[in-house]
Amino acid sequence: MPDPANNSEILSALKSAMPFQMVPGNLMQEIAAICTQESYEAGEKIYDLGAVADDVFIVAYGSVRHTLSADTDASKHEKTMRSGDVFGWAAVLEGQSVRMAATASIERTLVLRINGKKLIKLFESDPAVGDVVMTRFATLINKEFYVPRSIADQVPGFKQALNASNLQGSEVTTMALTVYRISTWLKSPRPYLMLIGFALFLSFWMLSVEIWKLPRFVDMPGPTEVFTEWFSEDPYYGLSIYTPEYYKHIGISLQRIAFAFFLATGLGVPLGLFLGWSKKFREYIFPLFEVFRPIPVLAWVPLAIIMFSGSETPVIFLTFLASFFATTLNTMLGVESIDESYSRAARCLGASRWQTFVHVVIPGAMPYIFTGLQISIGVAWFSLVAGEMVSGQYGLGYVINTAYMMIEYPKIIIGMITLGVVGYITSAMVRMMGDYLMQWRVRELALGDN
Amino acid sequence: MSAVIDENLGSLADVTDGAISIKDVVKIYDPDGAAVMAVDHCSIEIPAGEICMIVGPSGCGKTTLLNAIAGFHGITSGSIHLDGELLCGPEKPQAEPGSDRIVVFQNGALFPWKTNLDNVAFGPMMAGKLSKEEIYDKARSMMADAGLSGNENNYPGEISSGLRRRVEIVRALMNDPKVLLFDEPYRALDSLTKSVMHEALLEIYYRNKVTIFFITHDLEEAIFLGHRLIIMSSRPCKPKKIVEVDIPHPRDYSVLTSPRFRELMNEAKDVVHEEATKAFEAGEKEG
Amino acid sequence: MSVSNFSDKLFSKAAMRGIFAIVVFVLIWEVGARSEQWFGYRFPFIGLVPPPTDVFVSWGGLIADPSYWQSWYMSFLRVFGGFAAAMVIGIPMGLLMAVNKASYGIIFPSFEVLRPIPPLAWVPASIIFWPTQELSIAFVTFLGAFYTIVINVLGGAKSINKQFLQAAQSMGASQWDIFRRIVLPATLPSIVVGSAVGMGITWEVVVAAEMISGGGSSGGGAGGGLGFFIWSSYVGGSYEQIIVGMISIGIAGYISSELLRQLGGLLTPWLKTR
Repeated sequence: MPDPANNSEILSALKSAMPFQMVPGNLMQEIAAICTQESYEAGEKIYDLGAVADDVFIVAYGSVRHTLSADTDASKHEKTMRSGDVFGWAAVLEGQSVRMAATASIERTLVLRINGKKLIKLFESDPAVGDVVMTRFATLINKEFYVPRSIADQVPGFKQALNASNLQGSEVTTMALTVYRISTWLKSPRPYLMLIGFALFLSFWMLSVEIWKLPRFVDMPGPTEVFTEWFSEDPYYGLSIYTPEYYKHIGISLQRIAFAFFLATGLGVPLGLFLGWSKKFREYIFPLFEVFRPIPVLAWVPLAIIMFSGSETPVIFLTFLASFFATTLNTMLGVESIDESYSRAARCLGASRWQTFVHVVIPGAMPYIFTGLQISIGVAWFSLVAGEMVSGQYGLGYVINTAYMMIEYPKIIIGMITLGVVGYITSAMVRMMGDYLMQWRVRELALGDN
Repeated sequence: MSAVIDENLGSLADVTDGAISIKDVVKIYDPDGAAVMAVDHCSIEIPAGEICMIVGPSGCGKTTLLNAIAGFHGITSGSIHLDGELLCGPEKPQAEPGSDRIVVFQNGALFPWKTNLDNVAFGPMMAGKLSKEEIYDKARSMMADAGLSGNENNYPGEISSGLRRRVEIVRALMNDPKVLLFDEPYRALDSLTKSVMHEALLEIYYRNKVTIFFITHDLEEAIFLGHRLIIMSSRPCKPKKIVEVDIPHPRDYSVLTSPRFRELMNEAKDVVHEEATKAFEAGEKEG
Repeated sequence: MSVSNFSDKLFSKAAMRGIFAIVVFVLIWEVGARSEQWFGYRFPFIGLVPPPTDVFVSWGGLIADPSYWQSWYMSFLRVFGGFAAAMVIGIPMGLLMAVNKASYGIIFPSFEVLRPIPPLAWVPASIIFWPTQELSIAFVTFLGAFYTIVINVLGGAKSINKQFLQAAQSMGASQWDIFRRIVLPATLPSIVVGSAVGMGITWEVVVAAEMISGGGSSGGGAGGGLGFFIWSSYVGGSYEQIIVGMISIGIAGYISSELLRQLGGLLTPWLKTR
């Protein structure tokens, strides 16, 4: 093992090299382990044309003159390599065993040397990352060295290995990244602190209710009571994960949420887009919108009951209303947030007003729209619960309220926890949908993380 | 990047399209009743294919002029013609934006939600005159020519800012524009990246000669790239001095150390400094 | 803003358009609500709503009624009580989590597990736990604003420009100085934003809690408040008063947010660029 100080130097030099920037930490460590450092005096030759191509070089400090051989057909032959630059890539090319350039240091220079064969071997163990690095190598060779594509294409790929696992390149990269993130997370103190937090919370609940029986707490259902009821095959109060009743309540709440949420999205997003896009339309409609907005959605409960007969429609109406305001407002803000130069650029490039709307306004507002949908799903649950508690039959809010009236207290807590879990899952689904539709943003942020 | 470098590269003789004629243009902004004159009787003639550098301190009204040519806003009086055709004038205060005059924006305006290739293909796709295959083939080959192969399927956010500027220029050139309007595109770049960008821009220019209207406040950039410098006075904006850059094209970075370059720098510097001081003091008073 | 400027704004094209839309809306409402009376055919949904003229007549009667103003008072009291508690507990908690990694690690996950549970789902549990109805409403109200405030304070404090801290350190500031003079003011804008959002939620929760516990199926109990006013108007069949209640809550909510905005403006004078 290299000594730690040295190791961190190697790592930072590796990270500054473009092809390696996306490599996750554990693999980076393995690459660092096969690196050696070497220093050259000013004017010293590093390798000559036609020499055996064994190692890839990264300039850690100093500068190197790189002269390509005349028969590479490059449009430029001379290049100065500075820190972070990579050369000697003949070592990773397939069917290339000799140097295609001559290199000499210009000043006192420190370089990292990585054996090409070993590097490729390492990547075979992680084809997803390997493919990214090699693609970057190909780009670098073609672009920075002005070498024809035919040479860059000799960079080995790991596509076969990828195809064998029947997954697409980008997905594998995300998976590799996820695995990497989980492993670093486990190495940090965070999961253990989290467990301490949960343990503290649960033990406080248990001690205060079941063991010490503190004055006000004694009426509350304790964790043991709640969990035995929840997971019991023959629940005392008739509600557990084994009773169909439980899933019926969840199903009905979900159905109401889905209906209201999709209706609100279907109406709110177009309305918000037009509000943001057309100044005239906004001037007419927005003040009306602003008059309604300060009225809390839940103040609509009685009016909703009067306007819509039955017990189902008022609940859905309330849920819809909350979602609708959040979605419309955020979509409008999203359109307003779009940098003017994007629509100007589109018009310059000959886009009509409608084309600009489709290609600039809609995608440009997307991040805000999804922020709005996140809020929307949250407030939808918020008002659904209130609606179900006041009127309505079935649903998780109804469970909580009837359990209170029938003095079946553990059911209250079961209802609450279930609400939390289901609510969390739905909002995670909205987030995932957003990530899926906004790949450009995900990839940008992923780069920012590193 | 395998353009044949010959002595003819600097010549404008073979360029026929893209002459801009700005006559007596005045632009007055009137936001809250307090009229602010941004451009004052400004007249500039730019021959087809010239790289014309508009130099002036920040906020002097250069961008107003650019926006008027591009058609982003109107002018108060005067006229602007492109190849003898009226863009905007007394009876038509605002030009129609069009793909014959494409702006390369200060902070870049590649659509972050489209891949680089889709960005490059955007203009022709909107025009809808060619088939999708033809457009994408052309886009790929133009990207390859500009040294951008390998970045087609990346999003702009994934590549370096230098490469982004290059993609943006290629996106503009895809439409065979007559004029490229540059609004200080390299302002945010560090000086090393900038120098690379300048050489790349010239290489692209030698291959596709279009008129370039380039706004900057960086004198070195202006002299290195331009056939001509038009130094603007600040607030209101109006040409103050014209410097002919007689260093022959094609140029590369060795030009920067040539004695002639130094001379031109010195010639321009005094004028620019004087205007910058005026602009700064005006800003102080307003602030 | 000068007087002429203000009147310019009031009579600007934009304002006229907005007023026009609102007037059209009220007219449609009136016609729709009286459709049965006027056309012998009741329009769907809107035909069941009391017409605006009746609402205003009923409002006129209520203005002289002290119990109506008592409802205002009760709701305001609950909103500000719950909100103040959320600020007093939420701000230090958010700051603690931002400054101290261990407390963040311990508290934040549990916090995130509890957060998706809608505040109103706590109502029954809260009634069981707290000795008086008033306290249980206060608790649920507190909960509504609490999550938002903590999240905003935490986010604000975590996104402080590191260079501010380094600059302060290089000038020899102590830990306490840094906290008091950098972290706290730099977090203030997020506190203001969080409070504004929290205030909106607080009104939602108070109205609902008043309806559920005060006037809901559980019946009886500590009454009062605008939420209860709406609910009892519904139960009592005076539908005009429901709408008076809704508008009143809207106005009350708007006043509270405006107060908060003004206060926020006073606390963060450096954010005013003009």
